[in-house]
Amino acid sequence: MKANISSGLLLVLLLAVLPAAGKEIHATVVYDDVATGIDSAREDADQLWITTADLTRATRFEVKPQGVCRDVLCFPLPKAKKQEFLHQDAGKTWFNLTAFARLVRQPVAHDAALSTWYFGLRSDQNQTLSSLYAPDFTLPDINGKQHSLSDFHGKKVLLVTWASW
Amino acid sequence: MAQDTGGAKDAGPWIDPLKYSEAGKEMPKEVLETARKTGPLTYTVLIDEKHLVSKLYNMVNVPTGVWINEKGRIVRPNEVAFADDRFKGFSGLDSAPYLNAIKDWAEKGDKSIYAMSEDRLREKLAAQNPDFAQAAAEFGLGEQLYKAGNLPEAIPHFKEAQRLNPRSWNYKRQAYKLSGESDYGTTFAEEVKKAGGSKVYYPPPELPKTGEPEKKP
Repeated sequence: MKANISSGLLLVLLLAVLPAAGKEIHATVVYDDVATGIDSAREDADQLWITTADLTRATRFEVKPQGVCRDVLCFPLPKAKKQEFLHQDAGKTWFNLTAFARLVRQPVAHDAALSTWYFGLRSDQNQTLSSLYAPDFTLPDINGKQHSLSDFHGKKVLLVTWASW
Repeated sequence: MAQDTGGAKDAGPWIDPLKYSEAGKEMPKEVLETARKTGPLTYTVLIDEKHLVSKLYNMVNVPTGVWINEKGRIVRPNEVAFADDRFKGFSGLDSAPYLNAIKDWAEKGDKSIYAMSEDRLREKLAAQNPDFAQAAAEFGLGEQLYKAGNLPEAIPHFKEAQRLNPRSWNYKRQAYKLSGESDYGTTFAEEVKKAGGSKVYYPPPELPKTGEPEKKP
């Protein structure tokens, strides 16, 4: 009896992590505050699956043998749970971007009606403050010229926020 | 750093009032007078449509100031940073002590009595409530939906951000500006009163009294 319950549970768990078969919808993924339209996404409750090609287009992350990587940053996928992140279907490799967000401790906000998914700061982007170093950023001035905080290295900086509202 | 979802359209008149007031938006007389007297600003002014700086530094209100030394290390974290007495009537805060503190630091650097000890900094920059990270994501989603022309769909996400991080005035005030306070069933004045008044809204910076260096353990 106990064994039956476990296998039942396992089946439910497996179903929960597999993308909704077949049904592909248009979704918008906002990553690093940049919005990308995804023509074939699969949504399953609070899970979002996109193809690995779209993963790179929307986030610049790539699935490599060593993990999910962007530039020097690489997050290894837990071997035992690989199927939670990757799935082959319809000749494509699907990637579970919401499971990846949980792995890298990244908040996700979702608007179901408009299929828009917002991915916030990953934990690696949030750790800078505890080092006591000022997190770097790059923003435009009124003429569109980009400035980074790091451009001011070697000078004292008084950083002040304000708003028109 | 202008924390303005509306970008240059909203922040521009404050950055270059002479140019932008001609474009239609009337600015307060004293802002125009100052601009005529001092000419273009000599410090760097950036426009932050996505409220990125608030997100990275966990800021909850404007004006918020952070002091950063030559090595990029924080010297004083988030605090109310008034450069003049424009809002003194509301805040009760005199800008002089803060301005004096900045001058002292500009001169003495990390040896200034206003440079915070590392222990105090660590306390102040301690890990955030995870709800605040989720609040930032809800706010970011709201902004995205608003910019894509879906204000009615954005409002529930702005509300959720306000619920998850009720201390953030940025979330409240920016959202009110994008539609109206009535969409949130409240007013700015009511919210300030609920929070405990203007002393809570603008807590005075923690400045050691002159001649009394901050105790270092």
